[in-house]
Amino acid sequence: MSTSSTTDAPPVIHRLRKPVIDRLLTVWGVLVLVFLFAPIIVIVIYSFNTGRLLSSFEAFGLDSFAALFSKHVLSDAVMVSLRTGFIAALLATLLGTLAGIALARRPGRWAAWFMGLLILVSVTPEIVDAISLLPWLVFLGQDLGLSMFNDGTVRLVIGHSLFSVAVVSYIVRARLVGLPANLEEASADLYASPLRTFRRVTLPLAMPAVLAGLLLSFTFSLDNTIVSSFVQVSGSTPWPVYVLSALRGGLRPEIAAVSTVMLLITLAALAVVALVLRRAGDSSAQIARTMAGG
Amino acid sequence: MRRLRLPGLALALPAWVWLAVFFIAPVAVVFWYSFGYKPGLFGTHATDRLSFDRYLEVLTPTFFDTFVATMNIALTGTALCFLIGAPMAYWMAVKAPPSWRGLLLALVLVPFWTNFLVRTIGWQVILSPEGWLSQAAQTLGLPAFDILYTRGAVLLGVVYNYLPLMILPLYVAFDRVGEPLREASRDLGAGRFRTLWRVTLPLARPGIVVGVLLVYIPLMGDYITATVLGGAKGNMVGQLVAAQFQTAQNWALGSAMAITLIVIIVLSAAAVGAALWLVSWPLRRSYRVRLDSGVTQ
Amino acid sequence: MSSSHDVRILTSKAAAPIVRRELSRRGFFALAAGAGTTMVLAACTSPDGTPLPGATGGALENALSIYTWGDYDAPEVLEQFTTDLGPKITLDSYGSNEEMIAKLVAAKGTSGYDIIVPTGVYIPQLIENGLLMPLNRDLIPNIEYVDPAYLARDWDPENAYSICKAWGTTGFVYDTTVIDRELTTWNDFLDAAQNEASGRTSVLDDPVEITGIYYWANGIDWDTTDAADIDAAEAYLIENLAPHLAAFDSYPGGAAIPQATHALMQAWNGDARLGIMNSPEPDRWKWVLGAPATELWMDNWAISASAPHPEAAHAFLNFVLDPEFAVAQLDYIGYHTGAKDVEAQAREAGLEMLDLVFFTPEQLATMQDGEINEAQERNVEIWNKLKAAAGA
Repeated sequence: MSTSSTTDAPPVIHRLRKPVIDRLLTVWGVLVLVFLFAPIIVIVIYSFNTGRLLSSFEAFGLDSFAALFSKHVLSDAVMVSLRTGFIAALLATLLGTLAGIALARRPGRWAAWFMGLLILVSVTPEIVDAISLLPWLVFLGQDLGLSMFNDGTVRLVIGHSLFSVAVVSYIVRARLVGLPANLEEASADLYASPLRTFRRVTLPLAMPAVLAGLLLSFTFSLDNTIVSSFVQVSGSTPWPVYVLSALRGGLRPEIAAVSTVMLLITLAALAVVALVLRRAGDSSAQIARTMAGG
Repeated sequence: MRRLRLPGLALALPAWVWLAVFFIAPVAVVFWYSFGYKPGLFGTHATDRLSFDRYLEVLTPTFFDTFVATMNIALTGTALCFLIGAPMAYWMAVKAPPSWRGLLLALVLVPFWTNFLVRTIGWQVILSPEGWLSQAAQTLGLPAFDILYTRGAVLLGVVYNYLPLMILPLYVAFDRVGEPLREASRDLGAGRFRTLWRVTLPLARPGIVVGVLLVYIPLMGDYITATVLGGAKGNMVGQLVAAQFQTAQNWALGSAMAITLIVIIVLSAAAVGAALWLVSWPLRRSYRVRLDSGVTQ
Repeated sequence: MSSSHDVRILTSKAAAPIVRRELSRRGFFALAAGAGTTMVLAACTSPDGTPLPGATGGALENALSIYTWGDYDAPEVLEQFTTDLGPKITLDSYGSNEEMIAKLVAAKGTSGYDIIVPTGVYIPQLIENGLLMPLNRDLIPNIEYVDPAYLARDWDPENAYSICKAWGTTGFVYDTTVIDRELTTWNDFLDAAQNEASGRTSVLDDPVEITGIYYWANGIDWDTTDAADIDAAEAYLIENLAPHLAAFDSYPGGAAIPQATHALMQAWNGDARLGIMNSPEPDRWKWVLGAPATELWMDNWAISASAPHPEAAHAFLNFVLDPEFAVAQLDYIGYHTGAKDVEAQAREAGLEMLDLVFFTPEQLATMQDGEINEAQERNVEIWNKLKAAAGA
């Protein structure tokens, strides 16, 4: 390790302050989480509202949850969104991770053009994607006879993937760029095949970025309204489009109930994952971390 | 050393093809619309006569005024996201117990799996003049709390909804700096602040750039987030584009506006980047840390 | 507000047995409609080249796709249709007319939607683009239960393509604890916005609704294309109204009224009613129908020209117009469905605040249909300028 120009400061005094700063950081972290969850807590409480309007609490009851069973349009819309979200996130993460690794590890003359394209993707207003994708998908599906483009899920996945591919590429590239490639080279020296090197060295190095990209892509997809409303076909109205269009008659508490159920399922899933990880020990995470230069 | 390396293009090829087919091709058509015109009341666009007239129609005082207001909101919003998100990301990546990190990453995003409009209602219940915060303030003998539809509410809505886009790239960036490197820096006698300034921040720089761009660029084109809590004060330039495509059903003008907007957002991002480059001069000067074989132990 | 809640529950429960009683009668209706087939077939050969009705009263298809505003029909009515007549309903939703039109235009006849619910002023555009199927009125005898007042509106004078689904009008709601005088006209609205309610006023987020305030207040035709009128509206709204606006909110009843965030709000009647009924202090709010003139907007049942299930679509239209469903539909969305005699039924069922749903013939006479015309471009421009001025 060669750290230059940092050898002249007296170390001892700063070390004494460490716990205070750490505690402040922890407080800050918890405060930010409280901030992020504040409106969600309101929604969980309001999902037990028996009134007609979501935003106006009348009395406590479970009526809104009963609607989840009787109104199929709610669960249909949520299922469309979840299905699209999973597929779009996986796809965008796959494409974006490969592109991000290429940008960081094998930048050539193409890289500047590709970065330009990614920036263009992220800067294009969503309404432009929506207006342009709709006739294009109809062209592919009807005029060229590629019937898969008439499928609602396929269309939504395509629309949701564009921005996410760019985001995943950025994050993966930022993770790897400037990190030395010598681990990969060492692996190659030890006669590992390129694929094996990729799988055992490059990917673990990029993993935190891949995970972050996956989670972000899923989140974008779940909230996508504008592109979705244009490209959807009969039977594929996703959840955000339903909620937006339901404003005309006033949002009912059942919409909050859907959110509450989704939140509970998510938190339960996270708890299970956390438990499994703890049982498995931190070894795998630790390995990835060590290799990532930690 | 370099044997059997795939050219970079091959790894990026799937994304290239995907974006070429589903982004470049369709958006090129919209680009074409921008030279056309709106044919009569019930049509949205025609391209049998081409001209630059639509671009001349874009450049009105309203467009510039709205653009300046938008940039104001976007820059302030991005700065606030960084100030709030950076310590959070640093805590998650460096200070929190390693086994929590994946969980924390997910927890930052879980609130956003609740629908945007529903989250907004949650905020309105908290912030309205007779809402939770206001009632709490009055219980404490403070004046009623009325922040909705102010500039503060604009920024609250923006910061809330864009914070994850700042936190995640920063988390990934801080995570890669790694504890051993910081420890080494301290062992070599650098203080905490010096380590942060000379080791952590320079190494996290690519992630910081991504975080800033991921907040600033989409925010410049967004026209809904700022208005839901901020009302009239949250008017943004994306609204003008949407108004042409939707309400006016004039896709020719809408396209010209969108393309103008794209160009000036890229230019403004470049200007912001240049400004940051100048500001971060001391940071780069101290970027003497080189990562090579020793780091990975 | 538990009292209003109880009443609403009672209503839907009371409606249920009626619905069930109707079951057998409706089965008969479907048969009767089927029997009329031969006559319809003869009427099909239209010589003047207009699109022909796609339904002839044949057997119903087993599916029906409805593309409408979200949560816009009572679920029990839709379920009843499937139970009685068979076709399984797929519901999809849109948030704006322009979005729905763009979809139908781009899909070039492959959208797959059967029934759409466009707002009246967009119907001429849909017709001109060949997106609507002419209705086979022989299959929709229940149109006789629609009040003639809500038929033959400007956008479709013969109801050849559309039938009223729900209609509303525009007025405003104000907070009587902030504005203690009586407001009755659009001029009062504009005055209060610049005085007591300055900075606490919202208007609908739609260009023609905003310019409408000025035109209605000043006795100018809402559909004016006269440049002088438009310039005057622009000057007035930007100089006098914009600095006092807090928000552009099309649905203040959904949150702003119950949470008391504004003092003065332009609102549609059904939305205002919902907001006031669900406010913790309903007496604090006062609704005023726009005067001396205001609008009448109407969402209409229509069938897509490329409907894959035209028979089921016609059967649904006939089914949903049955007077027995009128109260359930009205109660569910809070807007008048245009059904005859529904007012008496609604009063009998104990629905609240019906003065925000039913209007007198005199009031009805002041409501204008509106149209999309050459002024639209200027209206959007004014809207943009107003937003820029209000945001500054």
